[in-house]
Amino acid sequence: MNEPLVLGIETSCDETAVGIVRGRTLLANVISSSVEEHARFGGVVPEIASRAHLEAMQPTIQKAIKDAGVKLTDLDAIAVTAGPGLVGALLVGVGSAAGLAIGLDKPIYAVNHLAAHISVDYLTHTEPIDPTIALLVSGGHSSLLQIDDITSSITKLGQTIDDAAGEAFDKIARIMKLGFPGGPAIDASARLGNVDAINFPRGLTTSNDWNTRPFDFSFSGLKTAVARYLESVPDYVQADVAASFQEAIVDVLLLKSLVACKESGIDSLVIAGGVAANSRLRALAELRCAKANVRLRIPTPGLCTDNGAMVASLGALLVAAGRSPSPVAFDADSSMPVATISLA
Amino acid sequence: MTMSLAIDTSTSRTSVGIVKDGQILWSGFRDGATEHGPALPALVQEAVSKFNVEEVVVGMGPGPFTGLRVGIAFAQSFALARNIQLRGVCSLDAIAAQVQESDFIITVDARRKEVYWAQYIHGVRVGEPAVSFPADVTGAPIFADLYPDLAALVNLSGNITEPIYLRRPDAVATADRK
Repeated sequence: MNEPLVLGIETSCDETAVGIVRGRTLLANVISSSVEEHARFGGVVPEIASRAHLEAMQPTIQKAIKDAGVKLTDLDAIAVTAGPGLVGALLVGVGSAAGLAIGLDKPIYAVNHLAAHISVDYLTHTEPIDPTIALLVSGGHSSLLQIDDITSSITKLGQTIDDAAGEAFDKIARIMKLGFPGGPAIDASARLGNVDAINFPRGLTTSNDWNTRPFDFSFSGLKTAVARYLESVPDYVQADVAASFQEAIVDVLLLKSLVACKESGIDSLVIAGGVAANSRLRALAELRCAKANVRLRIPTPGLCTDNGAMVASLGALLVAAGRSPSPVAFDADSSMPVATISLA
Repeated sequence: MTMSLAIDTSTSRTSVGIVKDGQILWSGFRDGATEHGPALPALVQEAVSKFNVEEVVVGMGPGPFTGLRVGIAFAQSFALARNIQLRGVCSLDAIAAQVQESDFIITVDARRKEVYWAQYIHGVRVGEPAVSFPADVTGAPIFADLYPDLAALVNLSGNITEPIYLRRPDAVATADRK
């Protein structure tokens, strides 16, 4: 089956999302977010997210079907995020997907959220991207991965040892009273600022770090440094702090990604996840990848944040590659390792 | 009469049945407070491999939230996939239906040392379900260790469309933090 019609459901955090693809063609991508309900709490509240998922699920599925112009009975398979994520949130998606799969008597693919983030790039590029290095950066994850085959072989090279990159954006935005989620707020403020105004630390870049954990990240020291700066300089220039903080994150992300490309001999980099929507990361990645002769791919900003199309995309790739579907009875796995692309 | 698929995940037991004319033609369950995710699809797949169902009836709680939502989410999508009717009913009422006494109280575990409960007089529920500490639930014989009866679940009339949560999500607004 080269062009399978697959519906994907994503509920690992605060977006209730349903996408439909036919092979590598995106037919529908519907997202209902509860982010505004979380804003006054300064972060995602799991129970609020889970309730919102259940409320939004049926309308979201029905809109996706309508947008795609297909019938549920036309589907070849259902795909769903099985993890990692908030377990109560994941289970709403898993329950919904299982209901569809059994109701329609179609196979189900219980897929990895992180692999799905990378696979969404297949919807915007027609030629295969494997092998590639992938930088996955979001509110919950920051990892460097080597993708030899998106349907069968993903190796984790490194990951954050404390905060995720997106989490650092949220926390600094909260201290600076820029609102939640912090990524877009800091991105906007930073556009007017000087990236060199303040020299914030780059985590895990000492020579010892390069020897012992070259592809791990750390952002908690940066967060503390920014907080201290804000305390000690009461009349700070907001745009300069935002730009310098953002630069410290983006710089170290790209530095390590390109070293991973060089050391693995793979001259391709995919950047995915919500933080890949950051305009400075996108611009600097283009510059540095061009200089290093590394082919760069970043999904369009709308496909970087959590969505259902990415889950459908990975499902369709698994079907097309002839991978076995998941058993009907599977559990959500809040800490699903990235090497597990789908549950067998 | 209608061939109904009955689903309840409001307690630590995942219950699935096929009910027609008030008779249970097939039923299965699995115990485990965190087992609803894998247990429900396995049970339903077995049930619908044997019977052609025409409606889905699901227990809307009250019950521990995560498991409860698995049942409701599954039931809604299954009904959508089959293009058949879905009805939601009060899970406590499906427990109460199997009690022989006239006046009594049904409780189920709500965690955090509390119970979900409702009172029944002449077998009919009085007022809405509530969540309380067990010491505060008095006035009639209490039945605490029962699970919903699937034939009774299907027999209940009405259609509850929202989960019966009875508690707000735990969260403190940033502005209210100490």
